[in-house]
Amino acid sequence: MTDVISEIRKDYLYNLLLKGERADGRAFDQYREFSVQKNIIIKAEGSALVKLGSSQVLVGVKMQPGEPFPDAPNRGVIITNAELVPLASPTFEPGPPNEVGIELARVVDRGVRESKAVDLEALCITPGKQVWIIFIDVHILDDCGNILDASSIGAIAALLATKVPASKFGLGDDYQLPVKDIPIAITAIEFGDVLMFDPDSDEESIANTKLTVITTADGSICGMQKSGTGVLKQEQIYRIIDIACEKAREIREKFLEE
Amino acid sequence: MDRKVVIPGDLLSEDAKRSGEGTFIKDGKVYSLLYGLANYRDCINVIPLAGKYVPHSGDNIIGVVKDMTFSNWIIDINSPYDGLLHISEFPKRIEADEMSRYLCMGSSIMTKVKDVNSTMKVELTLNEKKLGLIKTGRVIEISHTRVPRLIGKGGSMISMLKKELNCNIFVGQNGRIWINGGAEDMDLALKTILIIEKEAHTNGLTDRIVDFLKREKGARS
Amino acid sequence: MIVMDESNISFFKDGLRLDGRRADEVRPIKIEVGVLARADGSCYVEMGGNKVIAAVYGPREVHPRHLQEATRAIVRYRYNMASFSVEERKRPGPDRRSYELSKVSREALEPVILTSYFPRSVIDVFVEVLQADAGTRTAGINAASVALADAGIPMKSMISSCAAGKVGDTIVLDPMKEEDNFGQADMPIAMMPNGEITLLQMDGRLSPDEFRQAMEMAIRGCKEIYEVQRKSLIERYNQIEMEPISPQEVESQ
Repeated sequence: MTDVISEIRKDYLYNLLLKGERADGRAFDQYREFSVQKNIIIKAEGSALVKLGSSQVLVGVKMQPGEPFPDAPNRGVIITNAELVPLASPTFEPGPPNEVGIELARVVDRGVRESKAVDLEALCITPGKQVWIIFIDVHILDDCGNILDASSIGAIAALLATKVPASKFGLGDDYQLPVKDIPIAITAIEFGDVLMFDPDSDEESIANTKLTVITTADGSICGMQKSGTGVLKQEQIYRIIDIACEKAREIREKFLEE
Repeated sequence: MDRKVVIPGDLLSEDAKRSGEGTFIKDGKVYSLLYGLANYRDCINVIPLAGKYVPHSGDNIIGVVKDMTFSNWIIDINSPYDGLLHISEFPKRIEADEMSRYLCMGSSIMTKVKDVNSTMKVELTLNEKKLGLIKTGRVIEISHTRVPRLIGKGGSMISMLKKELNCNIFVGQNGRIWINGGAEDMDLALKTILIIEKEAHTNGLTDRIVDFLKREKGARS
Repeated sequence: MIVMDESNISFFKDGLRLDGRRADEVRPIKIEVGVLARADGSCYVEMGGNKVIAAVYGPREVHPRHLQEATRAIVRYRYNMASFSVEERKRPGPDRRSYELSKVSREALEPVILTSYFPRSVIDVFVEVLQADAGTRTAGINAASVALADAGIPMKSMISSCAAGKVGDTIVLDPMKEEDNFGQADMPIAMMPNGEITLLQMDGRLSPDEFRQAMEMAIRGCKEIYEVQRKSLIERYNQIEMEPISPQEVESQ
């Protein structure tokens, strides 16, 4: 079931766009208010509740020892999953993740993995036999647009709050999971030749194209994903990247303050 | 005490005759069915805070054509139920194969609920003055629970708005509203209606809106 | 680390339970109404260490169409636990336990919902357990009942849910994790404020007399919880009335 925005709301947004406005009065490159609450789930080794505008995403990190992949015997394992539970949106259906949910999890994972925020080699317990497995579970609670960026902030926030539960498994004392970078995903939509950042749910449903850019603390790009059936011109892509780096820096600063 | 917040199952009266909207009778007593505001008049009505628009016969509403069958347009009316507009309820005599020429997918119409039966089959009509295809102006959507406040007691709020904004306004019971007038007037009308939606529950709203409109129009000139 | 098993654990110390409660005390409860923007109605509940969130969508069109009923709305309830909600990470998705819990929870709420008001539609209730601490199904039903009210669904009454248990040969109210795992009986119930029971499950071993005691205790627990549900709904209404900023205030800023 797709989110069919009523023609009436679509027209309303078109009219505002022609005047250079967004429904909630934001600038085209402005992010909604966001907040991050850490360690909200004590059963998890790390957790974070992210609110981005009215969107709400809860990310939990669980860790347990397990077997490494045969082709990487000395490296820990990260498994990222996203549950787009029906509670979060009238368009989410119960069942295993569909292509949208899988794409979201994989893009969040890309940010964490490619930025090397978590040192996988340091997660090795016994080479070839036992390594730490990190489960990053994204649980969407309220989809009011741009849950991808919210999930990506949530994932890194939860990791930063994670304590490795070594004592539970007789592997020494618990310790803070070392996290070396803060990848931040920034998403923009293209609509009527206009680029809009941090789309809300109405804006998402009228857009044909979305581009997500994930950057690291030093401004390198560590992940990208274009989604949607529309097209992007080169200039638009470069512009999105420029703004994404800037926005990511702002969010990273605000985020570290909290 | 003539207004009170109640929750489902709250006892409202020992007199079964006072049962109104949003209430039910059990063992001769009146209880609330809803979470909302109980209005104590001769009849006790409970007005819910939230809920979907359920069409009633006689409602003026704005719908959008979402599908067509052999002799019916299927209309989205912002409700769990679709509206059916039969070809015979179109103000002009047309043939079945001409239907999409007059109202096609996505067309917005100002329509009226002709009948609702027990299985919630909703029949619409365009056979009345003031009803028809929307060609000009703008349509906005608000929560249908705010419509009574937008209309006001005896139509007081809506008459005031039409006059002060110099716009034609058609208020759909399903929360959709059509506005037509000058561009600046329509912008102001939209802004005003959104404020009314946000503050529908507060006291002194009409006066505040009158002041607001005076200021906005003053600032323009 | 203390290894607990039935033989060596003592559930009571100086007449108080492991978490300091008396036998007939429920755990602290927190209820927040209307916490989600997309849902038609929603509610967040904390009961002890349980953190659950319920959302209601509906009445809305039924898909697939063949599930429709001509004269009434159908009610669907989906109980789901987040992977990180339990001690050992849970694989996402429903298991047999969640199917059963979903069924009995739906059957606990359906009797009070006026489904005849909305033929050919569905009322969907979704409950997500974000953190589990024994009693998730009762917390879920309590949250769902408030979420249904928040969504404007007509109901004959609210539904409140609480469990009683037996530990160390004593009947206790609202068992916590250790009491649930190592106790002798667990009995969740749900009821209308007038005492009519809509959910009753039990596992363990109780004499008919103990059952009666547990029932009385659970009923008292439900009544306490009903008062908290009621209070949270009434307070929420007052909040909304006072929230909006008038055009004048915006001006003077």
